[in-house]
Parts: sequence; structure tokens; C-alpha cells
Amino acid sequence: MSFNIDAVVSDMASAIKDVTGSHWNKVKGTADQFLQNRKESLALIAELRITGELSEEKFKSRLQDEKLIAEAQLNALAVISKAIAQKAANAAIEVLEKAAKTALGSIL
Amino acid sequence: MKKLNQQQVSSRLFFLLTILSLFYLASCRVAFIPNYNATISKNIETTAKQVDKFYLTMLEKTTEEDGGRNYDKFTEEYVEIEVEINFILNQNKVRPLNKNSTRICEITLELWQKYKKEHKTDNTLSNGLIRLNRKSFSDLFYAMQVAEEGKKIAANPPQ
Repeated sequence: MSFNIDAVVSDMASAIKDVTGSHWNKVKGTADQFLQNRKESLALIAELRITGELSEEKFKSRLQDEKLIAEAQLNALAVISKAIAQKAANAAIEVLEKAAKTALGSIL
Repeated sequence: MKKLNQQQVSSRLFFLLTILSLFYLASCRVAFIPNYNATISKNIETTAKQVDKFYLTMLEKTTEEDGGRNYDKFTEEYVEIEVEINFILNQNKVRPLNKNSTRICEITLELWQKYKKEHKTDNTLSNGLIRLNRKSFSDLFYAMQVAEEGKKIAANPPQ
């Protein structure tokens, strides 16, 4: 079984962009760190397969585990995206609150 | 003072009610995630260090040759760490709006149990697998911590 680490990491980067949407620029630093981590892990898995420390069966199993770890990282990025959206929504509500106070003051 | 006719009163009343409705709406706050929890963050940090020490000690102080990595030599630490991961999972599960952090903990627990079972079945662990396991958990705890620290952004703008 062969795989191209750079192609896998590139696919992961696309998945991250999909999850984070318009917040991509704000999560890019963390996302890059996550991608670098996965790249190192995949390289280590490949090395262990070549040296025979991982059997074919365990090699496939570890690749499945990598998918789970990537899923965990996507969940972490989703939290950051939600936090940014929450901050923005509440900032907009604050503007509305101030406008309402001003309007109320003018008629009372 | 000029007397208001009924139409003017109705119009002012409508405007007042509109403003009061806006006021009520503005007093609401949007929440997509729970607040940052410093206790959970500390527990993640402590457990991450415990797991790192577990694998580093195994790598530095034991070898496969003399049966130094037989499963029964590590049973107690496996159980202690699993209890800690389970605890963090339950702390996250009970918080509303927290499905992302909960999922990260579920994955961490699933892989911890899987690698424990592998060690038990093989009754040893090679240097390469120790390095790989250590890396996998380091990445998972980092994701867990990023998710918890990320919740601070909701209260403070990103720097």
C-alpha cells in the first residue's frame, strides 16, 4: 500500500478550509501547525512500515487512526470558528443595544 | 401644552413598543460554545504530561529484550491515565454546546484503549511504536487544549 504524504496533507488543508469557511485567515496559524503534525506522523508511520516495525495490517490500522486524529483537529478548529462567530454576533448586538438606548432616551 | 390626538398617541405608543422590543432583543447574547473552563484546561495539561512521561520513561528506562516492556509492568499506569482521560471526557460531556471538545476526548479515549489492547496482545512495544503513540497523544492533547483555549476568543478578541 503506497500513499503520497503531500497529497494527503493537501486534501486535509482543503477539508480545513471547508470547515472554517470565512474564518480561514484567523485559524491559519493553528491549522498549519495541525497539518505539520499530521505530516510528521505520516512520515513516521511510513518509516516504521519500511523498517518492518509495523505490519501491513497495523500500517492500515494506523492510517485509520490518523483520520481520527485529523477529525479531532478539525473539531478544535471548529471551536475557534464558533468562538469568532459568537464574538462577532455579540458585538453586533451591542451596537443594536446602544442604538435602542439612544432612541429610547429621545422619546422619554 | 399641545394636546395629542388619538392617532399621535397610538403612533408614539407603537414607536415605544418597537424600541422596547429592540431593547429586549439587544439584551440577549448569542452562545455557540460554552465559556472557557480553567479547571478543564489544567486537567488536560496534567494528563498530557502524564502520558508524555509514561511513554518517555518506557523508551528510556526499559528495553524489549529482557521482557522489560511486558504489559503487566505498565497496567497500573494504563489504568490511572484512562481514568484521567475518562474524567476529562465527562467534564466536557456535561457542558452544553460542547460537542466538539467532547468528540476530541472520545477519540483520545478510543485510541488510548486501542493502543493499550495492542500492548496487551503483543505483550511488548517497540521503540518505533512508542514514538508513534507518544506523537499521536501529543497531537490529540494539543487539539484538546486548542479547543479549550479557543473558547477564550468568544470573550476576548484574537491577538
